[in-house]
Amino acid sequence: MKEYIKELFSGYVRIKVIGSYTELFINRCIEYNIPIWDISRVDNETILLSLYTTDIKRIRPHLKRTRCKIRINERKGFPFILKKVVYSRGFLSGVISCILLILILSNMVWSITVNGATPEVEHKLKQVAEELGVKKGAFIFQLPSNQELQQEMTESLEEITWVGVKRSGSTYHFEVVQKQLPEKQPALNARHIVADKKAIITKIYVEEGQVQVKENDYVKPGQLLISGFIGKEEKSELVPARGEVYGKTWYITNVSIPLKSTFETNTGERETKYSVGFFGFHLPIWGFSKPEFSRYETMISETNLRFLKWEIPLSFQTKELLETKEVTREYTEKEALQAASQVSREDIISKTSEKAEIKEEKILHHEVENGKVNVKIHYEIIEEIGKDIPIIQGD
Amino acid sequence: MAKWKHNLKSWLTRRLELPADAVMDLPRITMVGQLHIYIENHQGVLKFSNEEVRLLLKNGQLVIKGEDFMLKTILPEEILLEGKIEHVSYLDKPQN
Repeated sequence: MKEYIKELFSGYVRIKVIGSYTELFINRCIEYNIPIWDISRVDNETILLSLYTTDIKRIRPHLKRTRCKIRINERKGFPFILKKVVYSRGFLSGVISCILLILILSNMVWSITVNGATPEVEHKLKQVAEELGVKKGAFIFQLPSNQELQQEMTESLEEITWVGVKRSGSTYHFEVVQKQLPEKQPALNARHIVADKKAIITKIYVEEGQVQVKENDYVKPGQLLISGFIGKEEKSELVPARGEVYGKTWYITNVSIPLKSTFETNTGERETKYSVGFFGFHLPIWGFSKPEFSRYETMISETNLRFLKWEIPLSFQTKELLETKEVTREYTEKEALQAASQVSREDIISKTSEKAEIKEEKILHHEVENGKVNVKIHYEIIEEIGKDIPIIQGD
Repeated sequence: MAKWKHNLKSWLTRRLELPADAVMDLPRITMVGQLHIYIENHQGVLKFSNEEVRLLLKNGQLVIKGEDFMLKTILPEEILLEGKIEHVSYLDKPQN
Protein backbone atom coordinates (compact mmCIF):
# COMPACT_ATOMS: atom_id res chain seq x y z
CA MET A 1 0.00 0.00 0.00
CA LYS A 2 2.77 2.40 0.88
CA GLU A 3 4.50 1.50 -2.35
CA TYR A 4 1.35 2.24 -4.25
CA ILE A 5 0.97 5.62 -2.71
CA LYS A 6 4.58 6.42 -3.36
CA GLU A 7 4.18 5.43 -6.94
CA LEU A 8 1.00 7.38 -7.34
CA PHE A 9 2.68 10.50 -6.18
CA SER A 10 5.69 9.95 -8.29
CA GLY A 11 3.59 10.22 -11.39
CA TYR A 12 3.67 8.14 -14.50
CA VAL A 13 5.21 8.37 -17.91
CA ARG A 14 4.24 7.17 -21.33
CA ILE A 15 7.15 5.49 -22.99
CA LYS A 16 7.89 3.89 -26.34
CA VAL A 17 9.56 0.52 -26.22
CA ILE A 18 11.37 -0.21 -29.43
CA GLY A 19 12.65 -3.67 -30.29
CA SER A 20 11.82 -7.01 -31.91
CA TYR A 21 10.80 -8.82 -28.74
CA THR A 22 8.41 -6.35 -27.24
CA GLU A 23 5.94 -9.04 -26.21
CA LEU A 24 8.66 -10.72 -24.28
CA PHE A 25 9.35 -7.51 -22.55
CA ILE A 26 5.72 -7.20 -21.56
CA ASN A 27 5.74 -10.73 -20.17
CA ARG A 28 8.88 -10.05 -18.22
CA CYS A 29 7.38 -6.95 -16.69
CA ILE A 30 4.37 -8.93 -15.60
CA GLU A 31 6.57 -11.61 -14.18
CA TYR A 32 8.61 -9.19 -12.18
CA ASN A 33 5.56 -7.31 -10.97
CA ILE A 34 6.27 -4.03 -12.69
CA PRO A 35 2.84 -2.49 -13.29
CA ILE A 36 2.27 -1.38 -16.85
CA TRP A 37 -0.96 -0.45 -18.60
CA ASP A 38 -2.55 1.12 -21.65
CA ILE A 39 -0.37 -0.81 -23.99
CA SER A 40 -0.86 -0.14 -27.69
CA ARG A 41 1.18 -0.85 -30.75
CA VAL A 42 2.66 1.85 -32.89
CA ASP A 43 4.36 -0.26 -35.52
CA ASN A 44 6.07 -3.61 -35.88
CA GLU A 45 8.87 -2.71 -33.60
CA THR A 46 7.35 -0.16 -31.27
CA ILE A 47 4.78 -0.23 -28.54
CA LEU A 48 3.56 2.52 -26.30
CA LEU A 49 2.94 1.90 -22.63
CA SER A 50 2.39 3.70 -19.34
CA LEU A 51 4.74 3.16 -16.48
CA TYR A 52 5.37 4.67 -13.09
CA THR A 53 8.23 7.11 -13.08
CA THR A 54 10.07 5.27 -10.37
CA ASP A 55 9.90 2.05 -12.36
CA ILE A 56 11.88 3.35 -15.29
CA LYS A 57 15.16 2.34 -13.71
CA ARG A 58 13.73 -1.03 -12.72
CA ILE A 59 13.01 -1.99 -16.32
CA ARG A 60 16.54 -1.43 -17.53
CA PRO A 61 17.77 -4.99 -16.93
CA HIS A 62 14.67 -6.34 -18.67
CA LEU A 63 15.20 -4.06 -21.59
CA LYS A 64 18.69 -5.37 -21.92
CA ARG A 65 17.53 -8.95 -21.82
CA THR A 66 14.90 -8.43 -24.44
CA ARG A 67 17.07 -6.11 -26.46
CA CYS A 68 14.68 -3.19 -26.43
CA LYS A 69 15.27 0.43 -25.90
CA ILE A 70 12.94 3.13 -24.60
CA ARG A 71 12.07 6.63 -25.52
CA ILE A 72 9.99 8.75 -23.22
CA ASN A 73 6.86 10.12 -24.82
CA GLU A 74 5.07 12.20 -22.27
CA ARG A 75 5.03 12.70 -18.59
CA LYS A 76 1.78 12.57 -16.79
CA GLY A 77 0.65 12.52 -13.27
CA PHE A 78 0.48 14.41 -10.12
CA PRO A 79 4.03 15.70 -9.67
CA PHE A 80 4.18 17.02 -13.20
CA ILE A 81 0.90 18.84 -12.83
CA LEU A 82 2.05 20.24 -9.56
CA LYS A 83 5.24 21.48 -11.16
CA LYS A 84 3.28 23.13 -13.90
CA VAL A 85 1.00 24.85 -11.43
CA VAL A 86 3.63 25.91 -9.00
CA TYR A 87 6.00 27.26 -11.56
CA SER A 88 3.33 29.07 -13.51
CA ARG A 89 3.69 32.80 -13.43
CA GLY A 90 0.21 33.54 -12.16
CA PHE A 91 0.36 31.19 -9.23
CA LEU A 92 3.76 32.24 -8.13
CA SER A 93 3.02 35.93 -8.32
CA GLY A 94 -0.19 35.36 -6.40
CA VAL A 95 1.59 33.61 -3.58
CA ILE A 96 4.32 36.22 -3.42
CA SER A 97 1.94 39.16 -3.39
CA CYS A 98 -0.15 37.48 -0.71
CA ILE A 99 2.84 37.09 1.54
CA LEU A 100 3.92 40.64 0.86
CA LEU A 101 0.48 41.99 1.64
CA ILE A 102 0.26 40.17 4.91
CA LEU A 103 3.71 41.37 5.79
CA ILE A 104 2.83 44.98 5.14
CA LEU A 105 -0.53 44.85 6.86
CA SER A 106 0.77 43.22 9.99
CA ASN A 107 3.19 46.04 10.47
CA MET A 108 0.54 48.69 10.71
CA VAL A 109 -1.56 49.81 13.63
CA TRP A 110 -5.14 48.67 13.36
CA SER A 111 -6.55 49.07 16.80
CA ILE A 112 -5.98 51.16 19.88
CA THR A 113 -7.42 50.14 23.21
CA VAL A 114 -7.45 52.27 26.30
CA ASN A 115 -7.94 50.72 29.69
CA GLY A 116 -8.64 52.38 33.00
CA ALA A 117 -9.68 55.83 31.88
CA THR A 118 -12.91 57.74 32.04
CA PRO A 119 -14.41 58.62 28.66
CA GLU A 120 -13.15 62.20 28.63
CA VAL A 121 -9.64 61.18 29.52
CA GLU A 122 -9.79 58.36 27.01
CA HIS A 123 -10.74 60.80 24.30
CA LYS A 124 -7.93 63.16 25.22
CA LEU A 125 -5.51 60.28 25.32
CA LYS A 126 -6.51 59.15 21.88
CA GLN A 127 -5.97 62.67 20.58
CA VAL A 128 -2.54 62.89 22.07
CA ALA A 129 -1.73 59.47 20.68
CA GLU A 130 -2.82 60.63 17.26
CA GLU A 131 -0.55 63.62 17.44
CA LEU A 132 2.33 61.35 18.29
CA GLY A 133 1.46 59.26 15.27
CA VAL A 134 -0.34 56.33 16.82
CA LYS A 135 -3.49 55.98 14.80
CA LYS A 136 -5.18 53.48 12.57
CA GLY A 137 -3.18 52.82 9.45
CA ALA A 138 0.13 54.12 10.75
CA PHE A 139 3.22 52.10 10.05
CA ILE A 140 4.66 50.73 13.22
CA PHE A 141 8.29 51.18 12.34
CA GLN A 142 7.73 54.89 11.86
CA LEU A 143 6.40 55.34 15.35
CA PRO A 144 8.51 56.25 18.36
CA SER A 145 9.37 53.48 20.76
CA ASN A 146 7.05 52.46 23.54
CA GLN A 147 9.24 54.18 26.12
CA GLU A 148 9.15 57.46 24.29
CA LEU A 149 5.41 57.22 23.80
CA GLN A 150 4.92 56.52 27.46
CA GLN A 151 6.98 59.47 28.48
CA GLU A 152 5.36 61.89 26.09
CA MET A 153 1.85 60.86 26.98
CA THR A 154 2.33 60.89 30.70
CA GLU A 155 3.75 64.37 30.49
CA SER A 156 1.23 65.87 28.15
CA LEU A 157 -1.90 64.77 29.99
CA GLU A 158 -2.24 66.25 33.41
CA GLU A 159 -5.08 64.04 34.54
CA ILE A 160 -2.94 60.97 34.22
CA THR A 161 -0.40 59.72 36.68
CA TRP A 162 0.99 57.11 34.36
CA VAL A 163 0.38 55.54 30.99
CA GLY A 164 1.55 52.06 30.09
CA VAL A 165 2.11 51.51 26.40
CA LYS A 166 2.14 47.99 25.08
CA ARG A 167 2.00 46.73 21.57
CA SER A 168 0.71 43.27 20.83
CA GLY A 169 0.66 42.55 17.13
CA SER A 170 -1.17 45.37 15.43
CA THR A 171 -2.91 46.69 18.50
CA TYR A 172 -1.68 49.32 20.87
CA HIS A 173 -2.84 48.91 24.46
CA PHE A 174 -2.77 51.87 26.77
CA GLU A 175 -3.11 51.29 30.48
CA VAL A 176 -4.03 54.44 32.30
CA VAL A 177 -3.72 55.32 35.93
CA GLN A 178 -5.63 58.49 36.50
CA LYS A 179 -4.83 61.08 39.04
CA GLN A 180 -7.24 61.11 41.87
CA LEU A 181 -8.03 64.75 42.12
CA PRO A 182 -9.79 65.63 45.30
CA GLU A 183 -13.28 66.91 44.69
CA LYS A 184 -13.12 70.59 44.26
CA GLN A 185 -15.30 72.18 46.80
CA PRO A 186 -17.35 74.88 45.22
CA ALA A 187 -15.50 77.94 46.23
CA LEU A 188 -17.65 79.68 48.65
CA ASN A 189 -16.88 83.26 48.90
CA ALA A 190 -18.13 85.38 51.68
CA ARG A 191 -21.70 86.34 51.15
CA HIS A 192 -24.94 87.44 52.71
CA ILE A 193 -28.40 86.02 52.34
CA VAL A 194 -31.07 88.58 51.55
CA ALA A 195 -34.77 88.36 50.80
CA ASP A 196 -35.75 88.39 47.17
CA LYS A 197 -39.42 89.20 47.63
CA LYS A 198 -41.56 90.61 50.34
CA ALA A 199 -42.80 88.03 52.79
CA ILE A 200 -43.52 87.20 56.38
CA ILE A 201 -40.89 84.90 57.83
CA THR A 202 -42.24 81.54 58.88
CA LYS A 203 -39.10 79.46 59.51
CA ILE A 204 -35.38 80.07 59.57
CA TYR A 205 -32.65 77.44 59.33
CA VAL A 206 -29.18 78.88 59.69
CA GLU A 207 -26.07 76.87 58.96
CA GLU A 208 -23.50 79.58 58.87
CA GLY A 209 -23.73 83.29 59.46
CA GLN A 210 -25.57 85.56 61.80
CA VAL A 211 -29.33 85.73 61.47
CA GLN A 212 -30.79 89.19 61.37
CA VAL A 213 -34.52 88.53 61.41
CA LYS A 214 -36.93 86.41 63.42
CA GLU A 215 -40.23 84.64 62.80
CA ASN A 216 -43.24 86.67 61.78
CA ASP A 217 -41.05 89.55 60.70
CA TYR A 218 -42.20 91.35 57.64
CA VAL A 219 -39.31 91.66 55.23
CA LYS A 220 -38.93 93.59 52.05
CA PRO A 221 -36.92 92.58 48.99
CA GLY A 222 -33.22 93.14 49.61
CA GLN A 223 -33.51 92.98 53.33
CA LEU A 224 -30.63 91.20 55.04
CA LEU A 225 -31.70 87.85 56.45
CA ILE A 226 -28.44 86.13 57.32
CA SER A 227 -25.29 88.14 57.58
CA GLY A 228 -21.84 87.02 56.52
CA PHE A 229 -20.24 89.02 59.29
CA ILE A 230 -20.09 87.11 62.45
CA GLY A 231 -18.73 88.00 65.78
CA LYS A 232 -18.59 91.26 67.58
CA GLU A 233 -16.82 94.39 66.36
CA GLU A 234 -13.38 93.30 67.44
CA LYS A 235 -13.46 89.75 66.22
CA SER A 236 -15.58 89.98 63.11
CA GLU A 237 -15.06 87.33 60.50
CA LEU A 238 -16.30 87.01 56.97
CA VAL A 239 -18.01 83.75 56.17
CA PRO A 240 -20.28 82.58 53.41
CA ALA A 241 -23.71 82.68 54.93
CA ARG A 242 -25.57 79.45 54.51
CA GLY A 243 -29.11 78.62 55.45
CA GLU A 244 -32.72 78.42 54.37
CA VAL A 245 -35.29 81.07 55.15
CA TYR A 246 -38.94 80.29 54.50
CA GLY A 247 -41.55 82.98 54.30
CA LYS A 248 -45.19 83.46 53.48
CA THR A 249 -45.75 85.24 50.22
CA TRP A 250 -48.87 86.06 48.26
CA TYR A 251 -49.80 86.29 44.62
CA ILE A 252 -52.78 87.23 42.59
CA THR A 253 -53.49 85.57 39.28
CA ASN A 254 -55.85 86.52 36.52
CA VAL A 255 -57.15 83.74 34.39
CA SER A 256 -59.66 83.83 31.62
CA ILE A 257 -61.35 80.67 30.41
CA PRO A 258 -63.76 80.67 27.50
CA LEU A 259 -66.96 78.83 28.23
CA LYS A 260 -67.26 77.35 24.82
CA SER A 261 -64.24 76.37 22.86
CA THR A 262 -63.85 74.42 19.71
CA PHE A 263 -60.75 72.70 18.66
CA GLU A 264 -59.62 69.87 16.49
CA THR A 265 -58.68 66.49 17.81
CA ASN A 266 -57.46 63.42 16.02
CA THR A 267 -59.96 60.65 15.66
CA GLY A 268 -57.26 58.05 15.33
CA GLU A 269 -57.90 57.20 11.71
CA ARG A 270 -54.94 57.68 9.49
CA GLU A 271 -53.77 57.08 5.98
CA THR A 272 -50.21 56.83 4.86
CA LYS A 273 -48.85 57.76 1.49
CA TYR A 274 -45.35 57.09 0.34
CA SER A 275 -43.40 58.90 -2.29
CA VAL A 276 -39.88 59.04 -3.62
CA GLY A 277 -38.18 62.28 -4.35
CA PHE A 278 -35.40 63.18 -6.77
CA PHE A 279 -33.82 66.56 -6.49
CA GLY A 280 -36.92 67.96 -4.88
CA PHE A 281 -39.44 66.51 -7.27
CA HIS A 282 -41.71 63.97 -5.60
CA LEU A 283 -43.17 60.89 -7.15
CA PRO A 284 -45.89 59.13 -5.21
CA ILE A 285 -45.37 55.39 -5.15
CA TRP A 286 -48.04 54.16 -2.77
CA GLY A 287 -51.34 55.39 -1.55
CA PHE A 288 -52.79 57.07 -4.55
CA SER A 289 -56.36 57.07 -3.40
CA LYS A 290 -57.89 60.24 -2.18
CA PRO A 291 -58.34 60.22 1.53
CA GLU A 292 -61.77 59.48 2.83
CA PHE A 293 -61.54 62.00 5.55
CA SER A 294 -63.09 65.38 5.15
CA ARG A 295 -60.80 67.02 7.61
CA TYR A 296 -57.26 66.00 8.19
CA GLU A 297 -53.88 67.24 9.05
CA THR A 298 -50.73 66.19 7.28
CA MET A 299 -47.50 65.02 8.81
CA ILE A 300 -44.59 64.71 6.48
CA SER A 301 -41.39 62.91 7.31
CA GLU A 302 -38.62 62.74 4.83
CA THR A 303 -35.36 60.89 4.91
CA ASN A 304 -32.55 61.38 2.51
CA LEU A 305 -30.90 58.25 1.25
CA ARG A 306 -27.24 57.87 1.85
CA PHE A 307 -24.44 56.12 0.07
CA LEU A 308 -21.55 55.23 2.35
CA LYS A 309 -20.94 58.59 3.90
CA TRP A 310 -22.57 60.93 1.41
CA GLU A 311 -26.18 61.98 1.10
CA ILE A 312 -27.62 61.61 -2.32
CA PRO A 313 -30.49 63.79 -3.59
CA LEU A 314 -32.77 60.78 -3.56
CA SER A 315 -35.23 60.87 -0.70
CA PHE A 316 -38.04 58.82 0.69
CA GLN A 317 -41.05 60.68 1.95
CA THR A 318 -43.84 59.43 4.17
CA LYS A 319 -46.99 61.49 4.29
CA GLU A 320 -49.39 60.68 7.07
CA LEU A 321 -52.90 62.02 6.95
CA LEU A 322 -54.56 62.06 10.31
CA GLU A 323 -58.25 62.54 10.37
CA THR A 324 -59.38 65.33 12.63
CA LYS A 325 -62.65 66.21 14.11
CA GLU A 326 -64.00 69.36 15.47
CA VAL A 327 -64.84 69.10 19.07
CA THR A 328 -66.74 71.63 21.05
CA ARG A 329 -66.24 71.82 24.70
CA GLU A 330 -68.64 73.62 26.86
CA TYR A 331 -68.00 74.45 30.41
CA THR A 332 -70.56 75.20 32.96
CA GLU A 333 -69.66 78.04 35.18
CA LYS A 334 -68.59 75.74 37.96
CA GLU A 335 -66.41 73.69 35.63
CA ALA A 336 -64.88 76.80 34.25
CA LEU A 337 -63.96 77.95 37.68
CA GLN A 338 -62.31 74.64 38.43
CA ALA A 339 -60.35 74.74 35.23
CA ALA A 340 -59.29 78.26 35.99
CA SER A 341 -57.97 77.42 39.40
CA GLN A 342 -56.09 74.45 37.98
CA VAL A 343 -54.39 76.58 35.40
CA SER A 344 -53.43 79.25 37.83
CA ARG A 345 -52.13 76.75 40.36
CA GLU A 346 -49.76 75.38 37.78
CA ASP A 347 -48.77 78.86 36.86
CA ILE A 348 -47.89 79.72 40.42
CA ILE A 349 -45.83 76.63 40.97
CA SER A 350 -43.81 77.33 37.88
CA LYS A 351 -43.22 80.89 39.05
CA THR A 352 -42.00 79.90 42.47
CA SER A 353 -40.24 76.67 43.20
CA GLU A 354 -41.27 73.07 43.58
CA LYS A 355 -40.78 73.14 47.28
CA ALA A 356 -43.38 75.88 47.59
CA GLU A 357 -46.51 75.05 49.47
CA ILE A 358 -49.84 76.56 48.58
CA LYS A 359 -51.26 77.54 51.91
CA GLU A 360 -54.45 79.22 50.84
CA GLU A 361 -56.35 79.74 47.67
CA LYS A 362 -59.17 82.22 47.46
CA ILE A 363 -61.21 83.20 44.48
CA LEU A 364 -61.50 86.91 44.84
CA HIS A 365 -63.67 87.71 41.95
CA HIS A 366 -65.20 86.01 38.97
CA GLU A 367 -67.45 87.24 36.24
CA VAL A 368 -68.87 85.95 33.02
CA GLU A 369 -68.40 88.27 30.14
CA ASN A 370 -68.55 87.69 26.40
CA GLY A 371 -68.74 83.95 26.80
CA LYS A 372 -65.62 83.95 28.94
CA VAL A 373 -65.14 83.47 32.61
CA ASN A 374 -62.60 85.81 34.16
CA VAL A 375 -61.29 84.71 37.49
CA LYS A 376 -59.04 86.49 39.90
CA ILE A 377 -57.47 84.20 42.50
CA HIS A 378 -55.36 85.09 45.48
CA TYR A 379 -52.72 82.66 46.72
CA GLU A 380 -50.81 82.46 49.90
CA ILE A 381 -47.64 80.50 49.51
CA ILE A 382 -44.85 79.39 51.79
CA GLU A 383 -41.56 79.31 49.99
CA GLU A 384 -37.88 79.94 50.38
CA ILE A 385 -37.16 83.59 50.06
CA GLY A 386 -33.40 83.72 50.60
CA LYS A 387 -31.03 84.79 47.89
CA ASP A 388 -27.29 85.01 48.34
CA ILE A 389 -25.31 88.09 47.54
CA PRO A 390 -21.53 88.03 47.59
CA ILE A 391 -19.84 90.47 49.87
CA ILE A 392 -17.58 92.59 47.79
CA GLN A 393 -14.63 93.90 49.67
CA GLY A 394 -14.03 97.48 48.86
CA ASP A 395 -10.33 97.63 49.15
CA MET B 1 -1.59 -40.26 -17.50
CA ALA B 2 -2.35 -36.66 -18.29
CA LYS B 3 -5.40 -37.68 -20.20
CA TRP B 4 -6.66 -39.79 -17.33
CA LYS B 5 -6.09 -36.96 -14.94
CA HIS B 6 -7.89 -34.66 -17.29
CA ASN B 7 -10.88 -36.98 -17.53
CA LEU B 8 -11.06 -37.30 -13.77
CA LYS B 9 -11.06 -33.61 -13.37
CA SER B 10 -13.81 -33.24 -15.92
CA TRP B 11 -15.89 -35.78 -14.15
CA LEU B 12 -15.35 -34.15 -10.78
CA THR B 13 -16.26 -30.77 -12.17
CA ARG B 14 -19.46 -32.04 -13.63
CA ARG B 15 -20.53 -34.13 -10.68
CA LEU B 16 -19.61 -31.78 -7.92
CA GLU B 17 -20.53 -28.68 -9.88
CA LEU B 18 -17.25 -27.03 -9.20
CA PRO B 19 -16.08 -24.06 -11.31
CA ALA B 20 -14.35 -25.53 -14.30
CA ASP B 21 -11.79 -22.82 -14.72
CA ALA B 22 -10.43 -23.30 -11.23
CA VAL B 23 -10.30 -27.11 -11.31
CA MET B 24 -9.13 -27.57 -14.85
CA ASP B 25 -7.10 -24.42 -15.18
CA LEU B 26 -9.15 -23.04 -17.98
CA PRO B 27 -9.19 -19.42 -18.98
CA ARG B 28 -12.27 -17.33 -18.15
CA ILE B 29 -13.20 -14.88 -20.84
CA THR B 30 -15.55 -11.98 -20.19
CA MET B 31 -16.48 -9.97 -23.17
CA VAL B 32 -18.41 -6.73 -23.09
CA GLY B 33 -19.86 -6.15 -26.52
CA GLN B 34 -17.10 -5.54 -28.98
CA LEU B 35 -15.29 -3.13 -26.74
CA HIS B 36 -13.72 -5.00 -23.88
CA ILE B 37 -12.48 -8.45 -23.39
CA TYR B 38 -11.22 -9.63 -20.06
CA ILE B 39 -9.29 -12.83 -19.97
CA GLU B 40 -8.32 -14.49 -16.74
CA ASN B 41 -5.99 -17.38 -16.24
CA HIS B 42 -3.66 -17.12 -19.21
CA GLN B 43 -0.02 -17.97 -19.38
CA GLY B 44 1.43 -15.04 -21.23
CA VAL B 45 1.25 -12.78 -24.27
CA LEU B 46 2.63 -14.39 -27.38
CA LYS B 47 1.94 -11.77 -29.94
CA PHE B 48 0.58 -8.34 -29.67
CA SER B 49 -0.25 -6.06 -32.51
CA ASN B 50 -2.94 -3.60 -33.41
CA GLU B 51 -4.97 -6.26 -35.14
CA GLU B 52 -4.10 -9.47 -33.38
CA VAL B 53 -3.39 -10.59 -29.89
CA ARG B 54 -2.27 -14.09 -29.08
CA LEU B 55 -2.34 -15.48 -25.62
CA LEU B 56 -0.78 -18.66 -24.37
CA LEU B 57 -3.08 -20.95 -22.49
CA LYS B 58 -2.46 -24.17 -20.66
CA ASN B 59 -3.81 -26.16 -23.52
CA GLY B 60 -3.28 -24.14 -26.61
CA GLN B 61 -3.60 -20.55 -27.61
CA LEU B 62 -6.26 -17.87 -27.70
CA VAL B 63 -6.32 -15.69 -30.78
CA ILE B 64 -8.19 -12.41 -30.73
CA LYS B 65 -8.53 -10.47 -33.94
CA GLY B 66 -9.89 -7.01 -34.46
CA GLU B 67 -8.82 -3.37 -34.72
CA ASP B 68 -7.11 -0.74 -32.58
CA PHE B 69 -6.11 -3.01 -29.78
CA MET B 70 -4.81 -1.62 -26.55
CA LEU B 71 -3.85 -3.66 -23.52
CA LYS B 72 -5.50 -1.69 -20.78
CA THR B 73 -4.37 -3.79 -17.89
CA ILE B 74 -1.98 -6.60 -17.80
CA LEU B 75 -1.41 -8.73 -14.75
CA PRO B 76 0.37 -12.03 -14.31
CA GLU B 77 -2.67 -14.09 -15.12
CA GLU B 78 -5.18 -11.55 -16.34
CA ILE B 79 -5.48 -9.25 -19.23
CA LEU B 80 -7.93 -6.55 -20.23
CA LEU B 81 -8.02 -5.78 -23.88
CA GLU B 82 -9.79 -2.82 -25.43
CA GLY B 83 -10.52 -2.11 -29.01
CA LYS B 84 -12.81 -3.40 -31.71
CA ILE B 85 -12.95 -7.14 -31.21
CA GLU B 86 -13.99 -9.18 -34.20
CA HIS B 87 -12.76 -12.72 -33.68
CA VAL B 88 -12.07 -14.76 -30.62
CA SER B 89 -10.80 -18.23 -31.44
CA TYR B 90 -9.11 -21.12 -29.77
CA LEU B 91 -6.10 -22.82 -31.19
CA ASP B 92 -5.73 -26.20 -29.64
CA LYS B 93 -2.34 -27.45 -28.73
CA PRO B 94 -1.30 -29.94 -31.27
CA GLN B 95 -1.69 -33.25 -29.55
CA ASN B 96 1.18 -35.47 -30.27
